[in-house]
Amino acid sequence: MRLGGAASGSQSSLREGNRSLVVEAIQRFGGLTQVELVGATGLSAATVSSIVKELQTAGLVDTRTTIRSGRRAQLVRLASRTGLVAGVLIGHRHLRVALGDVAHEVVAEQVLPLPDEHRVDTSLDRAALLVVELAERAGASLDEVLAIGVGLPAPVEPGTGMITVPGIMRGWDGIHIVHVMSKRLAKPVVVENDANLGALAESRFGAARGFQDSLYVRASYGIGAGIVISGQVHRGFAGTAGEIGHVQVDPQGAICRCGSRGCLDTVVGAGALLAPLRASHGPLALRDVVQMANDGDPGCRQVVADAGAAIGSVVASLAVAVNPQCVAVGGELAETGEVLIGPMRDAIRRRVLLNQIAPLEVMPAELGQRAEVLGAIALALEVAEIPLDAADAAPEPTVADATGRDGG
Amino acid sequence: MSERGDVPLLSMRQISKRFGAVEALSGVDFEVHAHEVVALVGDNGAGKSTLARMVSGVLQPDSGIVELDGQQVTISSPSVAHELGIATVFQDLALADNLDVTANLFLGHELRENGMLRDGRMEQITREVLGKLASRIPSVRTPLSALSAGQRQSVAIARTLIGNPRLVVLDEPTAALSAVQTAEVLTHIERLRDLGLGVILISHNMSDVRAVSDRIEVLRHGRTNGSFEASHASFEEILAAITGATQVERGLRSAG
Repeated sequence: MRLGGAASGSQSSLREGNRSLVVEAIQRFGGLTQVELVGATGLSAATVSSIVKELQTAGLVDTRTTIRSGRRAQLVRLASRTGLVAGVLIGHRHLRVALGDVAHEVVAEQVLPLPDEHRVDTSLDRAALLVVELAERAGASLDEVLAIGVGLPAPVEPGTGMITVPGIMRGWDGIHIVHVMSKRLAKPVVVENDANLGALAESRFGAARGFQDSLYVRASYGIGAGIVISGQVHRGFAGTAGEIGHVQVDPQGAICRCGSRGCLDTVVGAGALLAPLRASHGPLALRDVVQMANDGDPGCRQVVADAGAAIGSVVASLAVAVNPQCVAVGGELAETGEVLIGPMRDAIRRRVLLNQIAPLEVMPAELGQRAEVLGAIALALEVAEIPLDAADAAPEPTVADATGRDGG
Repeated sequence: MSERGDVPLLSMRQISKRFGAVEALSGVDFEVHAHEVVALVGDNGAGKSTLARMVSGVLQPDSGIVELDGQQVTISSPSVAHELGIATVFQDLALADNLDVTANLFLGHELRENGMLRDGRMEQITREVLGKLASRIPSVRTPLSALSAGQRQSVAIARTLIGNPRLVVLDEPTAALSAVQTAEVLTHIERLRDLGLGVILISHNMSDVRAVSDRIEVLRHGRTNGSFEASHASFEEILAAITGATQVERGLRSAG
């Protein structure tokens, strides 16, 4: 009896479990054929087939005929009724490309390691290729990609994507990035500073959601901040708002790439972080420092903690000027958690005006390494002409609807 | 890392090799540490593959000393290399098209129990290894013939992780791959390094080499013509060493 009861209970939960297995597999791999789904989930072909039908009826996935190994196959992918947008983050050592749908759900993502001082032509070429190939991987075509948002670790002019402060990225000055990318992909392109994109994403979907005024600090190869005022990212006239990496912290310090002396970046940028570890630890990469700090290496923890304090004292001044409700901390260094954020919080709290109703919250960002591409996707969605209800830009099967609407 | 100051994982000193009248390698010194990616670059015929084949036991040096963890060794065959913890991905991948992913990973090293193959365990390990590499292969039972070039490269790299090697040799892993596939393979290489392995990477693509390497060793006509720290050397310096515009003395000095 008991056995029978348990069996009937587990059968529906089994079915539920199988459904989520299928959905997870499609999410992880983008587009999969039914045969591949059988392999990926370990379910029987019949089960996969019936689950796919169910999901299709529910509007969660759609199918398309494709070719695998020379044979016709049913490609199953997440339903994206209204198109995709691409988010591209060009970092100092990594290029991250993600495709998102209109619900900001990432359907395909890929990271490409980049060389130090990577070249503008190669990197933009590869970014464009990755967008095209990721669309294929997600089971879509480039036609379904509506717009591209690009993030750069430098202040940029939004209309052209040109870097507004020369010297920050060697070889990238004067490049009309919007023009270059839209020429390669024939789509609308928007370019924005990476910390501003992170701020946008964190304030909409991450740690700072629910706060009207917030700061996002991106501690990576360089330091940047994004300022959100009344729910809007504040860029400043030339996009340099929040460039705290170029606040002077050491009047006797080294000359920065921007031409000034003793900028925060010359004290806590990747080069400055790695240099003191060279004698004791040998040549390290930034992610080694993060990993070793997390593993408890005292030298690396010291370096990261000192960086946290130095960044904190600059963020404190910014916080006095802006009076945000929270500071979300992201970027690679934030993966060390409290090792970085603890000393940063102390430095901020010590300096920020005390007469506030609530103490300023300093917390880790929630979206992790994805924050910036999610921001880029959100920004791209703002410029994309989404064929909502088949309004204008849908050339495909909704012509009848569209003309009907136009007439009315 | 902390092991850095210690004995290198692999050390080759004064390695020479002749093929008849051709001097393929002449007095080459080469070192790889744990948790380090060392790129071997150079023109065609510079001796990169010859050196790599010595590490993987396919060729033996005519003269010179090979040390693993400070112990002098003779890597007399690929199976000896495997026992020493050296795994190689050859340029042609050397995969069996008719077998599935699991069978390819364990080819020649199948797990057995009382003479029976332990299929379940092998599949489990295969999934773990592919997961470690963040690989995008949906099923471990897919025959290799059904996989894309990038996925096959993933399988070839995953195969190196069977048997917990310490040193992985990759010969032109990104040649003839698409952008996404290149990105996947480069990410795999970063993972191998983060797992604490030593990696020898042979490639012609300067961008890929500089993206993932810690050190770049330039070979020219069978001789070392420069050793560069990847994060400090520019494209131009490395290209100059490859083409011979800078000679060995200057190249070594810039290694610092």
